[in-house]
Amino acid sequence: MSIKIKNINKSYSAHEKEVKVLENINFDINDGELICLLGPSGCGKTTLLRLIAGLEKANSGEIYVNDELVSKPSKDRGFIFQQYSLFPWLNVLDNVMFGLNLTNESKEENLKSAKRYLERVGLSDVENNYPHELSGGMKQRVAIIRSLLNHTPVLLMDEPFSALDMQNRHKLQEQLIGVWKRFENTIVFVTHDVDEAVYLGDKIVIMDKNPGKVKKIVDIELPRLRNRESIEFIEAQNKVKNLLDVGD
Amino acid sequence: MNRKKFTPLILPIIILIIWYLITSVFNLVTSYVLPSPINVFESAITLFSSGKLFTDSIDTLFKVFGGMLFASIVAIPLGILLGWSKTLEEMSSFVISVLRPIPPVAWIPFSILWFGIGTVPAIFIIFMGCVFPILIYTIDGVKRTDKVLIEAAQTLGAGDFDILYRVMLPSAVPYIVSGLKVGIGIALMCTISAEMIGSSSGLGFLILTATNLFDTGTTVVGMLTIGVIGLVLDYIFGKIQKQIFW
Ligand SMILES: Nc1ncnc2c1ncn2[C@@H]1O[C@H](COP(=O)(O)OP(=O)(O)OP(=O)(O)O)[C@@H](O)[C@H]1O
Ligand SMILES: [Mg+2]
Repeated sequence: MSIKIKNINKSYSAHEKEVKVLENINFDINDGELICLLGPSGCGKTTLLRLIAGLEKANSGEIYVNDELVSKPSKDRGFIFQQYSLFPWLNVLDNVMFGLNLTNESKEENLKSAKRYLERVGLSDVENNYPHELSGGMKQRVAIIRSLLNHTPVLLMDEPFSALDMQNRHKLQEQLIGVWKRFENTIVFVTHDVDEAVYLGDKIVIMDKNPGKVKKIVDIELPRLRNRESIEFIEAQNKVKNLLDVGD
Repeated sequence: MNRKKFTPLILPIIILIIWYLITSVFNLVTSYVLPSPINVFESAITLFSSGKLFTDSIDTLFKVFGGMLFASIVAIPLGILLGWSKTLEEMSSFVISVLRPIPPVAWIPFSILWFGIGTVPAIFIIFMGCVFPILIYTIDGVKRTDKVLIEAAQTLGAGDFDILYRVMLPSAVPYIVSGLKVGIGIALMCTISAEMIGSSSGLGFLILTATNLFDTGTTVVGMLTIGVIGLVLDYIFGKIQKQIFW
Protein backbone atom coordinates (compact mmCIF):
# COMPACT_ATOMS: atom_id res chain seq x y z
CA MET A 1 0.00 0.00 0.00
CA SER A 2 1.24 3.46 -0.80
CA ILE A 3 1.04 6.30 1.69
CA LYS A 4 0.70 9.98 0.83
CA ILE A 5 1.31 12.59 3.49
CA LYS A 6 -0.02 15.98 2.46
CA ASN A 7 0.58 19.28 4.28
CA ILE A 8 0.27 17.83 7.74
CA ASN A 9 0.24 20.31 10.61
CA LYS A 10 -0.20 19.22 14.17
CA SER A 11 -0.07 21.10 17.42
CA TYR A 12 -0.88 20.22 21.00
CA SER A 13 -2.18 22.63 23.54
CA ALA A 14 -0.28 22.29 26.79
CA HIS A 15 -0.84 24.67 29.74
CA GLU A 16 -3.07 26.86 27.54
CA LYS A 17 -0.23 27.25 25.05
CA GLU A 18 -0.29 25.94 21.51
CA VAL A 19 2.83 23.94 20.80
CA LYS A 20 3.49 23.22 17.17
CA VAL A 21 4.73 19.66 16.85
CA LEU A 22 4.64 19.07 13.10
CA GLU A 23 4.81 21.71 10.40
CA ASN A 24 3.97 21.16 6.77
CA ILE A 25 4.94 17.53 6.45
CA ASN A 26 4.87 16.30 2.86
CA PHE A 27 6.19 13.06 1.46
CA ASP A 28 5.07 9.89 -0.22
CA ILE A 29 5.86 6.28 0.55
CA ASN A 30 5.66 3.71 -2.23
CA ASP A 31 4.03 0.34 -1.92
CA GLY A 32 6.41 -2.17 -0.36
CA GLU A 33 8.95 0.41 0.70
CA LEU A 34 10.76 0.40 4.03
CA ILE A 35 11.03 3.97 5.22
CA CYS A 36 12.85 5.13 8.33
CA LEU A 37 11.87 8.28 10.17
CA LEU A 38 15.00 9.58 11.84
CA GLY A 39 15.31 12.59 14.07
CA PRO A 40 16.14 13.90 17.53
CA SER A 41 13.92 13.22 20.52
CA GLY A 42 10.80 15.37 20.48
CA CYS A 43 10.79 16.09 16.75
CA GLY A 44 7.39 14.46 16.36
CA LYS A 45 8.29 11.02 14.97
CA THR A 46 5.79 9.23 17.17
CA THR A 47 3.17 11.86 16.45
CA LEU A 48 3.59 11.45 12.70
CA LEU A 49 3.41 7.67 12.97
CA ARG A 50 0.25 7.92 15.09
CA LEU A 51 -1.27 10.23 12.51
CA ILE A 52 -0.60 7.64 9.79
CA ALA A 53 -2.16 4.99 12.01
CA GLY A 54 -5.26 7.12 12.59
CA LEU A 55 -4.66 7.18 16.34
CA GLU A 56 -4.32 10.96 16.23
CA LYS A 57 -5.99 13.74 14.26
CA ALA A 58 -4.07 16.43 12.39
CA ASN A 59 -4.96 20.11 12.68
CA SER A 60 -4.73 20.37 8.93
CA GLY A 61 -3.61 18.25 6.01
CA GLU A 62 -4.46 14.72 4.96
CA ILE A 63 -2.93 11.30 4.88
CA TYR A 64 -3.97 8.84 2.20
CA VAL A 65 -3.27 5.15 2.27
CA ASN A 66 -3.91 3.65 -1.18
CA ASP A 67 -5.74 6.88 -1.99
CA GLU A 68 -8.09 6.41 0.92
CA LEU A 69 -8.23 9.16 3.53
CA VAL A 70 -7.07 8.01 6.96
CA SER A 71 -9.64 8.90 9.62
CA LYS A 72 -9.43 6.15 12.21
CA PRO A 73 -7.29 3.12 13.13
CA SER A 74 -7.58 0.13 10.88
CA LYS A 75 -6.24 -3.40 10.82
CA ASP A 76 -4.60 -2.48 7.53
CA ARG A 77 -2.11 -0.44 9.50
CA GLY A 78 -0.47 -2.50 12.21
CA PHE A 79 1.32 -0.56 14.92
CA ILE A 80 4.28 -1.69 16.98
CA PHE A 81 4.50 0.58 20.00
CA GLN A 82 7.58 1.99 21.62
CA GLN A 83 6.42 0.54 24.92
CA TYR A 84 5.32 -3.07 25.33
CA SER A 85 1.75 -3.61 24.29
CA LEU A 86 0.96 -7.29 24.74
CA PHE A 87 -2.24 -8.18 26.57
CA PRO A 88 -0.97 -9.36 29.96
CA TRP A 89 -3.90 -11.72 30.54
CA LEU A 90 -3.34 -13.65 27.32
CA ASN A 91 -0.53 -16.09 26.64
CA VAL A 92 1.69 -15.66 23.60
CA LEU A 93 -0.50 -17.79 21.36
CA ASP A 94 -3.69 -15.93 22.28
CA ASN A 95 -1.90 -12.61 22.00
CA VAL A 96 -0.81 -13.21 18.44
CA MET A 97 -4.26 -14.53 17.53
CA PHE A 98 -6.04 -11.46 18.96
CA GLY A 99 -6.69 -9.90 15.58
CA LEU A 100 -7.65 -13.18 13.92
CA ASN A 101 -10.08 -14.04 16.69
CA LEU A 102 -11.99 -10.82 16.05
CA THR A 103 -13.09 -12.15 12.70
CA ASN A 104 -15.15 -15.25 12.26
CA GLU A 105 -12.48 -17.34 10.64
CA SER A 106 -12.18 -20.80 12.09
CA LYS A 107 -10.28 -20.93 15.33
CA GLU A 108 -8.44 -24.01 14.16
CA GLU A 109 -7.06 -22.28 11.08
CA ASN A 110 -5.97 -19.35 13.25
CA LEU A 111 -4.18 -21.64 15.64
CA LYS A 112 -2.35 -23.35 12.82
CA SER A 113 -1.04 -20.21 11.22
CA ALA A 114 -0.19 -18.68 14.61
CA LYS A 115 1.94 -21.69 15.47
CA ARG A 116 3.61 -21.61 12.09
CA TYR A 117 4.54 -17.94 12.43
CA LEU A 118 5.82 -18.38 15.98
CA GLU A 119 7.96 -21.28 14.90
CA ARG A 120 9.50 -19.22 12.14
CA VAL A 121 10.86 -16.65 14.60
CA GLY A 122 11.84 -19.25 17.18
CA LEU A 123 9.11 -18.54 19.69
CA SER A 124 7.48 -21.97 19.72
CA ASP A 125 8.93 -22.77 23.12
CA VAL A 126 7.18 -19.86 24.78
CA GLU A 127 3.82 -20.02 23.03
CA ASN A 128 2.05 -20.85 26.28
CA ASN A 129 3.93 -18.29 28.36
CA TYR A 130 2.47 -15.03 29.53
CA PRO A 131 4.01 -11.67 28.55
CA HIS A 132 5.57 -11.03 31.96
CA GLU A 133 7.57 -14.22 31.50
CA LEU A 134 9.20 -12.97 28.28
CA SER A 135 12.29 -10.90 27.64
CA GLY A 136 11.95 -7.48 26.01
CA GLY A 137 13.08 -8.79 22.64
CA MET A 138 10.61 -11.66 22.77
CA LYS A 139 7.79 -9.26 23.62
CA GLN A 140 8.50 -7.10 20.60
CA ARG A 141 8.79 -10.13 18.34
CA VAL A 142 5.42 -11.36 19.60
CA ALA A 143 3.95 -7.91 18.94
CA ILE A 144 5.31 -7.99 15.39
CA ILE A 145 3.94 -11.47 14.77
CA ARG A 146 0.59 -10.30 16.15
CA SER A 147 0.43 -7.64 13.45
CA LEU A 148 1.83 -9.82 10.66
CA LEU A 149 -0.63 -12.59 11.41
CA ASN A 150 -3.34 -10.02 10.84
CA HIS A 151 -2.09 -9.77 7.22
CA THR A 152 -1.39 -6.12 7.71
CA PRO A 153 -0.11 -4.53 4.48
CA VAL A 154 1.31 -1.54 6.36
CA LEU A 155 3.45 -1.90 9.45
CA LEU A 156 4.11 1.19 11.54
CA MET A 157 6.92 0.65 14.01
CA ASP A 158 7.82 3.12 16.73
CA GLU A 159 11.37 2.46 17.95
CA PRO A 160 10.42 -1.17 18.58
CA PHE A 161 13.97 -2.27 19.37
CA SER A 162 15.16 0.72 21.38
CA ALA A 163 14.98 -1.13 24.69
CA LEU A 164 17.14 -4.02 23.49
CA ASP A 165 20.86 -4.59 23.75
CA MET A 166 22.87 -4.26 20.56
CA GLN A 167 23.15 -7.97 19.83
CA ASN A 168 19.42 -8.59 20.09
CA ARG A 169 18.74 -5.42 18.23
CA HIS A 170 20.84 -6.51 15.28
CA LYS A 171 19.24 -9.92 15.29
CA LEU A 172 15.73 -8.49 15.21
CA GLN A 173 16.66 -6.00 12.50
CA GLU A 174 17.82 -8.89 10.38
CA GLN A 175 14.63 -10.83 11.09
CA LEU A 176 12.58 -7.79 10.20
CA ILE A 177 14.24 -7.58 6.79
CA GLY A 178 13.42 -11.27 6.30
CA VAL A 179 9.79 -10.69 7.21
CA TRP A 180 9.54 -7.61 5.02
CA LYS A 181 10.94 -9.46 2.00
CA ARG A 182 8.57 -12.35 2.51
CA PHE A 183 5.39 -10.35 3.11
CA GLU A 184 6.25 -7.34 0.99
CA ASN A 185 4.58 -4.94 3.43
CA THR A 186 5.08 -1.24 3.48
CA ILE A 187 7.00 -0.41 6.64
CA VAL A 188 7.44 2.93 8.36
CA PHE A 189 10.11 2.50 11.00
CA VAL A 190 10.80 5.23 13.55
CA THR A 191 14.24 5.42 15.11
CA HIS A 192 16.71 7.93 16.44
CA ASP A 193 19.62 5.63 15.75
CA VAL A 194 21.55 6.37 12.54
CA ASP A 195 22.98 2.85 12.30
CA GLU A 196 19.52 1.33 12.52
CA ALA A 197 18.11 3.70 9.91
CA VAL A 198 20.90 3.01 7.45
CA TYR A 199 20.67 -0.74 7.99
CA LEU A 200 16.91 -0.89 7.47
CA GLY A 201 15.76 1.94 5.24
CA ASP A 202 15.19 2.16 1.51
CA LYS A 203 14.74 5.81 2.30
CA ILE A 204 15.48 7.80 5.40
CA VAL A 205 13.29 10.75 6.21
CA ILE A 206 15.47 13.01 8.34
CA MET A 207 13.47 15.25 10.62
CA ASP A 208 14.22 18.41 12.53
CA LYS A 209 12.58 19.73 15.64
CA ASN A 210 10.90 22.89 17.00
CA PRO A 211 8.69 22.52 15.12
CA GLY A 212 9.05 19.06 13.63
CA LYS A 213 9.60 19.12 9.91
CA VAL A 214 11.23 17.10 7.15
CA LYS A 215 14.80 18.23 6.69
CA LYS A 216 15.90 15.88 3.97
CA ILE A 217 15.00 12.56 2.42
CA VAL A 218 17.94 10.28 1.65
CA ASP A 219 17.84 7.17 -0.51
CA ILE A 220 19.96 4.28 0.68
CA GLU A 221 20.70 2.10 -2.28
CA LEU A 222 22.74 -0.65 -0.70
CA PRO A 223 21.96 -4.30 -1.38
CA ARG A 224 20.29 -6.47 1.30
CA LEU A 225 21.28 -7.83 3.74
CA ARG A 226 23.51 -4.89 4.45
CA ASN A 227 26.99 -5.29 5.74
CA ARG A 228 27.77 -2.91 8.56
CA GLU A 229 31.50 -3.23 7.97
CA SER A 230 31.40 -2.26 4.30
CA ILE A 231 32.82 1.08 3.20
CA GLU A 232 29.53 1.97 1.50
CA PHE A 233 27.61 1.40 4.70
CA ILE A 234 29.94 3.55 6.73
CA GLU A 235 29.86 6.27 4.07
CA ALA A 236 26.08 6.28 4.05
CA GLN A 237 26.10 6.45 7.84
CA ASN A 238 28.42 9.47 7.80
CA LYS A 239 26.31 11.20 5.19
CA VAL A 240 23.15 10.75 7.26
CA LYS A 241 24.94 11.84 10.42
CA ASN A 242 26.12 15.02 8.75
CA LEU A 243 22.65 15.81 7.46
CA LEU A 244 21.23 15.27 10.94
CA ASP A 245 23.73 17.65 12.49
CA VAL A 246 23.44 20.45 9.94
CA GLY A 247 22.06 23.58 11.58
CA ASP A 248 22.42 22.32 15.13
CA MET B 1 11.05 -19.00 59.04
CA ASN B 2 9.61 -20.50 62.21
CA ARG B 3 10.03 -17.25 64.04
CA LYS B 4 8.11 -15.41 61.34
CA LYS B 5 5.30 -17.93 61.55
CA PHE B 6 4.83 -17.38 65.28
CA THR B 7 5.13 -13.60 65.30
CA PRO B 8 1.41 -13.04 64.56
CA LEU B 9 0.53 -15.29 67.51
CA ILE B 10 2.39 -13.26 70.15
CA LEU B 11 -0.17 -10.49 70.47
CA PRO B 12 -3.25 -12.77 70.68
CA ILE B 13 -1.56 -14.79 73.43
CA ILE B 14 -0.73 -11.64 75.40
CA ILE B 15 -4.31 -10.42 75.02
CA LEU B 16 -5.61 -13.80 76.13
CA ILE B 17 -3.41 -13.75 79.23
CA ILE B 18 -4.38 -10.20 80.23
CA TRP B 19 -8.01 -11.00 79.51
CA TYR B 20 -7.75 -14.11 81.68
CA LEU B 21 -6.02 -12.22 84.48
CA ILE B 22 -8.55 -9.38 84.74
CA THR B 23 -11.63 -11.58 84.46
CA SER B 24 -10.79 -14.86 86.18
CA VAL B 25 -7.81 -14.25 88.45
CA PHE B 26 -8.34 -10.74 89.81
CA ASN B 27 -12.08 -10.62 89.14
CA LEU B 28 -11.85 -6.98 88.15
CA VAL B 29 -15.04 -7.10 86.05
CA THR B 30 -18.20 -9.17 86.26
CA SER B 31 -19.01 -11.70 83.59
CA TYR B 32 -21.86 -9.74 82.03
CA VAL B 33 -19.55 -6.82 81.45
CA LEU B 34 -16.78 -8.97 80.05
CA PRO B 35 -16.90 -12.78 80.01
CA SER B 36 -13.78 -14.68 80.95
CA PRO B 37 -11.98 -16.73 78.31
CA ILE B 38 -13.14 -19.84 80.09
CA ASN B 39 -16.71 -18.64 79.87
CA VAL B 40 -16.30 -18.06 76.16
CA PHE B 41 -14.69 -21.45 75.72
CA GLU B 42 -17.59 -23.17 77.47
CA SER B 43 -20.11 -21.32 75.31
CA ALA B 44 -18.13 -22.27 72.24
CA ILE B 45 -18.21 -25.95 73.22
CA THR B 46 -21.96 -25.85 73.80
CA LEU B 47 -22.66 -24.03 70.54
CA PHE B 48 -20.30 -26.23 68.63
CA SER B 49 -21.55 -29.58 69.92
CA SER B 50 -25.18 -28.64 69.42
CA GLY B 51 -24.33 -27.81 65.82
CA LYS B 52 -25.88 -24.38 66.27
CA LEU B 53 -22.67 -22.54 65.52
CA PHE B 54 -22.33 -24.44 62.28
CA THR B 55 -25.90 -23.89 61.07
CA ASP B 56 -25.77 -20.22 62.05
CA SER B 57 -22.51 -19.78 60.18
CA ILE B 58 -23.90 -21.46 57.08
CA ASP B 59 -27.01 -19.34 57.34
CA THR B 60 -25.03 -16.12 57.56
CA LEU B 61 -22.69 -17.18 54.77
CA PHE B 62 -25.72 -17.89 52.59
CA LYS B 63 -26.96 -14.34 53.15
CA VAL B 64 -23.50 -12.88 52.65
CA PHE B 65 -22.97 -14.70 49.38
CA GLY B 66 -26.53 -13.98 48.27
CA GLY B 67 -26.01 -10.27 48.85
CA MET B 68 -22.59 -10.40 47.19
CA LEU B 69 -23.99 -12.28 44.21
CA PHE B 70 -26.75 -9.76 43.55
CA ALA B 71 -24.37 -6.89 44.19
CA SER B 72 -21.93 -8.35 41.64
CA ILE B 73 -24.68 -8.92 39.08
CA VAL B 74 -25.64 -5.27 39.38
CA ALA B 75 -22.31 -3.60 40.06
CA ILE B 76 -19.93 -5.33 37.64
CA PRO B 77 -21.85 -4.73 34.37
CA LEU B 78 -22.86 -1.26 35.54
CA GLY B 79 -19.29 -0.48 36.55
CA ILE B 80 -17.99 -1.59 33.16
CA LEU B 81 -20.54 0.63 31.44
CA LEU B 82 -19.78 3.65 33.62
CA GLY B 83 -16.04 3.14 33.34
CA TRP B 84 -16.37 2.98 29.59
CA SER B 85 -18.65 5.97 29.00
CA LYS B 86 -17.55 9.28 30.44
CA THR B 87 -20.99 10.76 29.86
CA LEU B 88 -22.78 8.02 31.75
CA GLU B 89 -20.28 8.27 34.59
CA GLU B 90 -20.72 12.02 34.84
CA MET B 91 -24.47 11.56 34.82
CA SER B 92 -24.44 9.06 37.65
CA SER B 93 -21.53 10.20 39.78
CA PHE B 94 -23.67 12.54 41.90
CA VAL B 95 -26.24 9.88 42.69
CA ILE B 96 -23.54 7.35 43.54
CA SER B 97 -21.69 9.82 45.75
CA VAL B 98 -24.85 10.56 47.72
CA LEU B 99 -26.03 6.97 48.09
CA ARG B 100 -22.63 5.51 48.93
CA PRO B 101 -22.06 6.96 52.42
CA ILE B 102 -25.51 5.92 53.67
CA PRO B 103 -24.97 3.16 56.25
CA PRO B 104 -26.65 -0.08 55.20
CA VAL B 105 -28.52 -0.08 58.53
CA ALA B 106 -30.44 2.97 57.35
CA TRP B 107 -32.10 0.83 54.69
CA ILE B 108 -33.79 -1.36 57.29
CA PRO B 109 -37.18 0.41 57.18
CA PHE B 110 -37.35 0.21 53.41
CA SER B 111 -36.10 -3.33 53.29
CA ILE B 112 -38.99 -4.31 55.58
CA LEU B 113 -41.49 -2.37 53.45
CA TRP B 114 -40.18 -3.85 50.23
CA PHE B 115 -39.20 -7.37 51.24
CA GLY B 116 -41.00 -8.09 54.53
CA ILE B 117 -38.99 -9.92 57.14
CA GLY B 118 -36.60 -12.87 57.09
CA THR B 119 -33.85 -13.80 54.69
CA VAL B 120 -34.67 -11.57 51.71
CA PRO B 121 -34.38 -8.20 53.52
CA ALA B 122 -31.18 -9.46 55.14
CA ILE B 123 -29.74 -10.16 51.70
CA PHE B 124 -30.90 -6.71 50.62
CA ILE B 125 -29.06 -5.00 53.49
CA ILE B 126 -25.88 -6.89 52.63
CA PHE B 127 -26.42 -6.03 48.99
CA MET B 128 -26.61 -2.33 49.86
CA GLY B 129 -23.44 -2.65 51.88
CA CYS B 130 -21.25 -4.19 49.21
CA VAL B 131 -22.71 -2.95 45.92
CA PHE B 132 -20.87 0.38 46.05
CA PRO B 133 -17.33 -0.85 46.67
CA ILE B 134 -17.71 -3.41 43.87
CA LEU B 135 -19.13 -0.73 41.58
CA ILE B 136 -16.43 1.80 42.32
CA TYR B 137 -13.59 -0.67 41.98
CA THR B 138 -15.00 -1.89 38.67
CA ILE B 139 -15.34 1.65 37.29
CA ASP B 140 -11.82 2.38 38.43
CA GLY B 141 -10.44 -0.82 36.90
CA VAL B 142 -12.02 -0.13 33.53
CA LYS B 143 -10.80 3.46 33.53
CA ARG B 144 -7.28 2.36 34.35
CA THR B 145 -7.05 0.19 31.25
CA ASP B 146 -3.67 0.91 29.70
CA LYS B 147 -4.24 3.23 26.75
CA VAL B 148 -1.60 1.45 24.71
CA LEU B 149 -3.57 -1.81 24.98
CA ILE B 150 -6.70 -0.11 23.70
CA GLU B 151 -4.79 1.39 20.81
CA ALA B 152 -3.06 -1.90 20.07
CA ALA B 153 -6.47 -3.54 19.86
CA GLN B 154 -7.75 -0.77 17.58
CA THR B 155 -4.87 -1.22 15.17
CA LEU B 156 -5.58 -4.95 15.17
CA GLY B 157 -9.10 -4.27 13.98
CA ALA B 158 -11.09 -4.22 17.23
CA GLY B 159 -14.33 -2.23 17.32
CA ASP B 160 -15.81 -0.48 20.35
CA PHE B 161 -17.53 -3.57 21.67
CA ASP B 162 -14.44 -5.75 21.16
CA ILE B 163 -12.45 -3.24 23.16
CA LEU B 164 -14.98 -3.22 25.97
CA TYR B 165 -15.25 -6.98 26.09
CA ARG B 166 -11.76 -8.15 25.13
CA VAL B 167 -9.58 -5.40 26.57
CA MET B 168 -11.27 -3.32 29.24
CA LEU B 169 -13.08 -6.15 30.99
CA PRO B 170 -10.08 -8.48 31.36
CA SER B 171 -7.81 -5.64 32.36
CA ALA B 172 -10.32 -4.64 35.05
CA VAL B 173 -10.54 -8.14 36.53
CA PRO B 174 -7.86 -7.62 39.20
CA TYR B 175 -9.64 -4.47 40.35
CA ILE B 176 -12.99 -6.23 40.35
CA VAL B 177 -11.55 -8.94 42.56
CA SER B 178 -10.22 -6.25 44.91
CA GLY B 179 -13.72 -4.78 44.96
CA LEU B 180 -15.19 -8.18 45.84
CA LYS B 181 -12.64 -8.54 48.62
CA VAL B 182 -13.57 -5.19 50.11
CA GLY B 183 -17.24 -5.99 49.52
CA ILE B 184 -17.12 -9.26 51.41
CA GLY B 185 -15.57 -7.53 54.41
CA ILE B 186 -18.40 -5.01 54.44
CA ALA B 187 -20.96 -7.77 53.90
CA LEU B 188 -19.77 -9.48 57.07
CA MET B 189 -19.95 -6.20 58.97
CA CYS B 190 -23.56 -5.90 57.86
CA THR B 191 -24.65 -9.27 59.21
CA ILE B 192 -25.90 -7.97 62.55
CA SER B 193 -28.02 -5.18 61.05
CA ALA B 194 -29.19 -7.55 58.36
CA GLU B 195 -30.32 -10.16 60.86
CA MET B 196 -32.08 -7.62 63.04
CA ILE B 197 -35.06 -7.87 60.72
CA GLY B 198 -36.98 -10.95 61.72
CA SER B 199 -34.20 -13.44 61.14
CA SER B 200 -34.41 -16.52 63.32
CA SER B 201 -30.94 -17.81 62.64
CA GLY B 202 -27.50 -16.65 61.65
CA LEU B 203 -24.51 -15.31 63.51
CA GLY B 204 -25.93 -11.80 63.76
CA PHE B 205 -29.11 -13.22 65.23
CA LEU B 206 -27.07 -15.37 67.61
CA ILE B 207 -25.21 -12.31 68.86
CA LEU B 208 -28.36 -10.23 69.21
CA THR B 209 -30.30 -12.83 71.21
CA ALA B 210 -27.32 -13.67 73.40
CA THR B 211 -26.80 -9.98 74.14
CA ASN B 212 -30.45 -9.61 75.12
CA LEU B 213 -30.01 -12.51 77.53
CA PHE B 214 -26.74 -11.11 78.91
CA ASP B 215 -25.08 -14.28 77.65
CA THR B 216 -21.84 -12.49 76.92
CA GLY B 217 -19.92 -15.73 76.35
CA THR B 218 -22.08 -16.61 73.36
CA THR B 219 -21.86 -13.04 72.12
CA VAL B 220 -18.08 -13.24 72.01
CA VAL B 221 -18.20 -16.65 70.28
CA GLY B 222 -20.45 -15.14 67.60
CA MET B 223 -18.15 -12.16 67.18
CA LEU B 224 -15.05 -14.31 66.88
CA THR B 225 -16.74 -16.63 64.39
CA ILE B 226 -17.53 -13.68 62.10
CA GLY B 227 -13.94 -12.57 62.49
CA VAL B 228 -12.57 -15.98 61.60
CA ILE B 229 -14.89 -16.30 58.58
CA GLY B 230 -13.63 -12.91 57.43
CA LEU B 231 -10.06 -14.04 57.89
CA VAL B 232 -10.60 -17.20 55.84
CA LEU B 233 -12.42 -15.40 53.03
CA ASP B 234 -9.75 -12.74 52.95
CA TYR B 235 -7.12 -15.42 52.65
CA ILE B 236 -8.97 -17.10 49.79
CA PHE B 237 -9.42 -13.82 47.91
CA GLY B 238 -5.78 -13.00 48.52
CA LYS B 239 -4.86 -16.30 46.84
CA ILE B 240 -7.12 -15.53 43.89
CA GLN B 241 -5.59 -12.09 43.56
CA LYS B 242 -2.10 -13.52 43.51
CA GLN B 243 -3.19 -15.79 40.68
CA ILE B 244 -4.54 -13.02 38.48
CA PHE B 245 -2.31 -10.03 39.13
CA TRP B 246 -0.03 -10.25 36.14
N1 LIG C 1 -0.52 14.11 23.92
C1 LIG C 1 0.34 15.14 23.90
N2 LIG C 1 0.04 16.31 24.49
C2 LIG C 1 0.88 17.36 24.46
N3 LIG C 1 2.08 17.33 23.86
C3 LIG C 1 2.47 16.20 23.24
C4 LIG C 1 1.62 15.04 23.24
N4 LIG C 1 2.25 14.05 22.56
C5 LIG C 1 3.43 14.59 22.18
N5 LIG C 1 3.56 15.86 22.58
C6 LIG C 1 4.70 16.75 22.31
O1 LIG C 1 4.98 16.70 20.94
C7 LIG C 1 6.37 16.69 20.69
C8 LIG C 1 6.73 15.52 19.82
O2 LIG C 1 6.48 14.31 20.51
P1 LIG C 1 6.76 12.89 19.88
O3 LIG C 1 6.44 11.89 20.92
O4 LIG C 1 6.06 12.77 18.59
O5 LIG C 1 8.33 12.97 19.64
P2 LIG C 1 9.33 11.83 19.19
O6 LIG C 1 10.06 12.36 18.02
O7 LIG C 1 8.62 10.55 19.03
O8 LIG C 1 10.33 11.77 20.42
P3 LIG C 1 11.10 10.49 21.04
O9 LIG C 1 12.24 10.20 20.14
O10 LIG C 1 11.55 11.00 22.36
O11 LIG C 1 10.12 9.37 21.14
C9 LIG C 1 7.03 16.66 22.05
O12 LIG C 1 7.49 17.95 22.33
C10 LIG C 1 5.97 16.26 22.99
O13 LIG C 1 6.15 16.90 24.23
MG1 LIG D 1 8.63 8.69 20.05
